[in-house]
Amino acid sequence: MIRRLLRVMGDDAPVLRRLITLTVVCAILQGVAFSLLVPLVQALLEGDFQQLWLWIGVEAAILAGFGILNYRTKMLGLTSSMALTAHLWQRLGDHISKLPLGWFNAEKVGSVSRLTSSGVFSVTGFPTQMLGTLVNAFVTPAVVIVLMFLFEWRLALVALIAAPIVWGAYRGTVAIVDYVDLRTHSANTRTANRIIEFAQTQPILRAFGRVSKGYKLLDEALVAQRKADNSMITWGGAIGDGMFRLTVQGAFTAILLSGIALGVGSSIGATELIALLILATRFVQPLMDGAAAGGGVRTVRNNLNRMDHIFHTKPLSETADAGQATLGDPAVSFEAVRFGYDKREILHDITFTAQARTMTALVGPSGAGKTTITRLVARFWDISSGVVKVAGVDVRDMTAEQLMSQLSFVFQDVYLFSGTIRENVLMARPDATEEELKNAIRLARVDEIANRLAHGLDTQVGEGGSALSGGERQRVSIARAILKDAPIVLLDEATAALDAENEALVQEALHALTTDRTLIVVAHRLQTIAAADQIIFLEQGNIVEWGTHQKLIKADGRYADFWRERSRSLGWRLGSRAKIQE
Amino acid sequence: MNSAKINIEKENSMAKANAIPNFRGLWLLLKPIRWRLILAFFIAAIGATASIVPFIAIAEIAQMLLVSEVNTEGNIWIWGWIAAGALLLRLVCVFVAGAITHFADTSFQLLVRRRIAAHLGRVRLGWFTARTSGSIKKSVSDDVMHMHHLVAHTGLEIVDGVVVPVVTLVYLFSIDWAMSLFVMLPLLAGIGLYAVQIAKIRPKMADTPTAMSEINGTAIEFVQGISVVKTFGQAGRAYRKFLDATQRFMALMSGVMGGTLRSAALAEVVLAPLASLVIITAAGAVLSGMGQLDPVAVIPFVLLGVGVTSPLMALFFSATATSQAAEASERVLALLDTKTLPEPKTPSVPANETIVLENVRFSYDGQHAALDGVDLWLEPGTTTALVGRSGSGKTTIAKLIPRFWDPDEGKITLGGVDLRDIPTSELYRHVSFVFQDIQLLSTSVAENIRLARPEATIAEVEQAARAAQIHDRILELPRGYDSVIGEDALFSGGEAQRISIARALLADAPILVLDEATAFADPESEALIQDALSALAAGRTLLVIAHRLSTIQGADQIAVVDRGRIVERGTHGHLLAQGGLYAQLWWKHECSMSWHPEVHHGLDSTKEVKS
Repeated sequence: MIRRLLRVMGDDAPVLRRLITLTVVCAILQGVAFSLLVPLVQALLEGDFQQLWLWIGVEAAILAGFGILNYRTKMLGLTSSMALTAHLWQRLGDHISKLPLGWFNAEKVGSVSRLTSSGVFSVTGFPTQMLGTLVNAFVTPAVVIVLMFLFEWRLALVALIAAPIVWGAYRGTVAIVDYVDLRTHSANTRTANRIIEFAQTQPILRAFGRVSKGYKLLDEALVAQRKADNSMITWGGAIGDGMFRLTVQGAFTAILLSGIALGVGSSIGATELIALLILATRFVQPLMDGAAAGGGVRTVRNNLNRMDHIFHTKPLSETADAGQATLGDPAVSFEAVRFGYDKREILHDITFTAQARTMTALVGPSGAGKTTITRLVARFWDISSGVVKVAGVDVRDMTAEQLMSQLSFVFQDVYLFSGTIRENVLMARPDATEEELKNAIRLARVDEIANRLAHGLDTQVGEGGSALSGGERQRVSIARAILKDAPIVLLDEATAALDAENEALVQEALHALTTDRTLIVVAHRLQTIAAADQIIFLEQGNIVEWGTHQKLIKADGRYADFWRERSRSLGWRLGSRAKIQE
Repeated sequence: MNSAKINIEKENSMAKANAIPNFRGLWLLLKPIRWRLILAFFIAAIGATASIVPFIAIAEIAQMLLVSEVNTEGNIWIWGWIAAGALLLRLVCVFVAGAITHFADTSFQLLVRRRIAAHLGRVRLGWFTARTSGSIKKSVSDDVMHMHHLVAHTGLEIVDGVVVPVVTLVYLFSIDWAMSLFVMLPLLAGIGLYAVQIAKIRPKMADTPTAMSEINGTAIEFVQGISVVKTFGQAGRAYRKFLDATQRFMALMSGVMGGTLRSAALAEVVLAPLASLVIITAAGAVLSGMGQLDPVAVIPFVLLGVGVTSPLMALFFSATATSQAAEASERVLALLDTKTLPEPKTPSVPANETIVLENVRFSYDGQHAALDGVDLWLEPGTTTALVGRSGSGKTTIAKLIPRFWDPDEGKITLGGVDLRDIPTSELYRHVSFVFQDIQLLSTSVAENIRLARPEATIAEVEQAARAAQIHDRILELPRGYDSVIGEDALFSGGEAQRISIARALLADAPILVLDEATAFADPESEALIQDALSALAAGRTLLVIAHRLSTIQGADQIAVVDRGRIVERGTHGHLLAQGGLYAQLWWKHECSMSWHPEVHHGLDSTKEVKS
């Protein structure tokens, strides 16, 4: 694990190395100081005051040295903890900003944000909190054993034989606890999910009378968690930790009893024996402390594993001469494109061209691959085979900035940054003039929102834009897209349907955005579809029909069916009077 | 609602800043496992005493080896075995005490979680909307888990931290009081230094919760917003914002930690066994040099005095975990202290299905009125549509009927009985609702539909599913009705919506509150959802939150809501003729229905933007 930390630290690795060295030196000093108890106690018992004061002097000197080193260690611990934090954040940040857009889903966003905050803190607590305890646990007793050989080899031998057994017990404990921990962890996750469900579904649980009697599914999860926790205690605590403690105590008892045997047999001097037994008592505490730190070490290791998992996710490649090609007319073309997320292929051999300044409507049942196509244009992922061209250039031969300069998109997941409305719109083009900003805001009908708010455009939108409604966020994102003024617009119309209440305003905003652009739209509204220059009808990742509305209706195929079905839903009415009229 | 969220967070961080554990509340909470804990403490105290015995044994052996001449060998062995036995006893005690507290803790966790769940089932529904489910999960799962240290460890540590030094000192004082005073020296100095350090660190720590939440916030923003940021080629900027926040945080932390580094390091050295060793041996050397003390009498002090600080060190080291646990217990107690909906004093059963709102006033935050005197009458079997701009209060009206909140003034009656006097289970036999947020549970599809009537037969479930246009889709699943949501039953938004409609169908409550937007939640399966809703609405008293006015043209009563009041009331034709707010909204609606994106070739207003 230390090797991994050193790797993460990069340039600052020497700081951590120095810290480890100093910590080891501190532990050795303590071991030496304890060992010197033997001559000291002997001098005391033999009444040799000159010798006694000499050894006390030496101990005091070691204490002073230990004090200074301990202070230095703490300083270094702080520096390396800070450096580690900075490196982890920087490396995570660098890597995350290079990952393909498609990598980010809700679950990843959640776990990665946790990792960047609490995960990083747990790892960086290692140099300040855990390192010292761990080093002390093993170095101090080792030094004591080695120096014991100088005084009395037989007792030292007993200690030496005990050492690998203690070490083995330690590894065994770690292995058992790791295993049980894994099982408890999954029980924890299940409980957590049930609690979230319980909170989120309160209205229906209550409405259907499921709260008063206790919510069975949650209760089952809680009981299962207790069972898992209890087995953690039995296995991890009783068997694991118990085994370790028993071994350590056993080793101490063995030293104690064999010491007495030697002393009684007079093969060892009384004063020496007493001194050695005192030394042996110093053996136990650091080992016990080390075992207690095991849980913390495990958390650090788990977090490092999670970080490695992110670092091992491949970022999007950029060819060496990316960005060299000259961009042509803002058209989009797919040539024999195949694509799948894992091994399952989702798009099979997709070929089409969206000419510059025309509208292409992607139509089809859910799961047909419509949204995937728009995301491939924006290079959320790389395709398995074929070519996606934007403005005549393969998207893999473009830099991320170049590609994005060609595209605006209005997708379903709108994200605003905490900051003002103005800042959020300006993000699209920080150098835009006030007039350009005002224009985009007017066209996207954000002015209507601003007028209602006390601070107008300078109103804080809250984390993720939570102070605005869905439709309002949508309009801010459209204003952003308008200000960005890219020649190609990718639009998911389901977005527009999200907010029936503000529909008119959202539609006006979209109108301003799409005028005179190349438009690829995942279309749901019949008016939109009918007005498209070309309709691509998709089913299960294949283009089954394409052409204009008239042509496809005449063909009377899948599209025509779809059209009829959708037309029916348009005239839907709700309510008793309507029923009578019909 | 959002400001409520922010306030709650503020309260939390405030609570964090000056957490003084509420021991009385905690003690009450611990009641069911109190005796188990006390037993564990008692055993731990025996163990703590036993832990000192081996040291005493070695001291006795030293005494015998050096001083007494007679009959030593047997006595030495006796002390040797006493030491070994004490070691074993200590081990067993640590073990048993630990096992008792740990097993007590898991029962305690289960108990507290059950209590919280039962409590949350009785708070106002509005309470949930003011919080994220994540924060509720944090309370029920994480906070209870964090109390683990307090329940399972802190008590035992305190017993060790008190018993070991006290018994040790009593024993040592019985040997020599002067030497004992020297043993106490580092102990007192260490405690003093830690106290100084805590006093120093406390004011500085006041800023850390803020800095910590800033870091968390920017980290979440950075990761969540990265996809958006990238599309605008601004990844660098958001990243810099994150790095800036990290730098500010580190500056603050190094200030806090750096400032107390010296006293912390000093305290550690003073409490280190090494320091005790030097002090005790020096004192022993002086006293025995002066002939005041037999050198052999120094041995117990070297043996026991050196170890006297270590249980205290353990207490200090676990101080963070303990205070975190104490903070967690504060939050759990606060949660259990949340007001619950009062159960009716005189429970009554509604006589019929008429719903009447009388002069209802309601405010989310106690300052701004969301509803400002609403009167509404819903006749059985009729359809009433609530129409109005966003924020007008129409959703609020609809949510008062299933008692998401209670009115501040005025009342809502069902069949002549105030909703507050109807037992909850009875109320929901009369009222069901379909809102936009679909709520499926991670259990089988059949159980989901059966939620309202667990005793319903599979035939009834299937019948409801058929009427909700979802039966065929369910049969396509690997295990049909036994497929589990989220595992082998993955539904699109529209499909999930139809499951929830099937559920409402099976519940068969005579009054239905419906958000009309659900009909358009999923453009992919609009027609099917609509058919399902039509089946559900048939023959019921309907209250509809309307977004698309065309849908509710045929309603018996359209109530136009504006700023928390009902400003117009009547049928579609009547209101249109009136030429008021409804007429305005209607024309706007008509306009939006005819829009489609267009590609203009040539001059256009957006050209201005480009220049």
